[in-house]
Amino acid sequence: MSVLEKLQQGPREGVTYPLSLAYCGNCSMPIEYCEYYPEYDKCKQWLERNLPSEFEKVKIGDDGGSVEEEKKRQKRGGKGMIKTKKKEDGPKQVCVSRAPRGKKKSVTVVTGLSSFDIDLKVAAKFFGTRFACGSSVTGDDEIVIQGDVKDDLFDVIPEKWPEIDEDLIEDLGDQKR
Amino acid sequence: MFKKFDEKESISGVLQLKSSVQKGIRTKLIESYPYLENHIDNILPKKDALRIVKCHDHIEIIVNTAGDLLFFRHREGQWMPTLRLYHKYPFFLPMQQVDKGAIRFVLSGANIMCPGLTSPGAQMTTVPKDTIVAIMAEGKDHALAIGKTTLSTDDIAKVNKGIGVENCHYLNDGLWHMKPVK
Repeated sequence: MSVLEKLQQGPREGVTYPLSLAYCGNCSMPIEYCEYYPEYDKCKQWLERNLPSEFEKVKIGDDGGSVEEEKKRQKRGGKGMIKTKKKEDGPKQVCVSRAPRGKKKSVTVVTGLSSFDIDLKVAAKFFGTRFACGSSVTGDDEIVIQGDVKDDLFDVIPEKWPEIDEDLIEDLGDQKR
Repeated sequence: MFKKFDEKESISGVLQLKSSVQKGIRTKLIESYPYLENHIDNILPKKDALRIVKCHDHIEIIVNTAGDLLFFRHREGQWMPTLRLYHKYPFFLPMQQVDKGAIRFVLSGANIMCPGLTSPGAQMTTVPKDTIVAIMAEGKDHALAIGKTTLSTDDIAKVNKGIGVENCHYLNDGLWHMKPVK
């Protein structure tokens, strides 16, 4: 495709819209822009794992030229570089605990779900329907489920979110409110 | 525009749009982007209840029922598509191509300077001043930024100095990272 043709406005023939486009899981940009991301290596790793076919293409494009370009490029104090978003690599862990509520009732407190990029509001709703009880988001990273469902959570959470292993859920036991 | 945008802090409210206002937006969009006419029903289905997300600095974003971000604007300006939407329908904006050297600057939010549009790797399509354009890059197939021309393309070629296109929205900025609004 020539450059002019590429810039031509209007729908292309023989293409159905909307197009779907694969984004890189590491830098979130279209794959062709990965090379401009400071953590290109991590992008490559992600590609290799998730989209091997795309990875092959990138590799072919990479051979030759890239080393030379590296030398040519001026490096002026990292000017024009994108800053990497700092990802908080804190301990990825879900903590569940039980807190008393009145004399003989208790509530279950779940913290740490947001470190797995889970929408807390959705999670609270899910717990509520699942256990047929009240459930609400009470803090920055805290869900309170009414009733003692701590033991069930060890099965329910990995079932609903497969990325959370049962070992990643920690039992904090009973806690004071 | 979205360089310091943070979805937690910058959003001040979400409103449901009245259907009359929705209609107004539809006609306005078709008026400014004639190529959208056949696809507008896919992007903004007639039955869909649109919402508007009001943000700081007079920015408004149109959101559909699913929570996807579609168009945004600053004050009473023109509606501009988000890059995620534009990647799905990459034909309705006039496109400008920048050379390879400019890509990393654009990706960190710089405005597009005239020399980046006039050098051998670059290519311009003729547009007047204050047009919403998509910024493409040499050797790449997808848009990397949405901008607004501050000079007509003739002037860009003539002056060849300073800002040619104002960078409104680029890959990896605050709007790009914004999650669907529930």
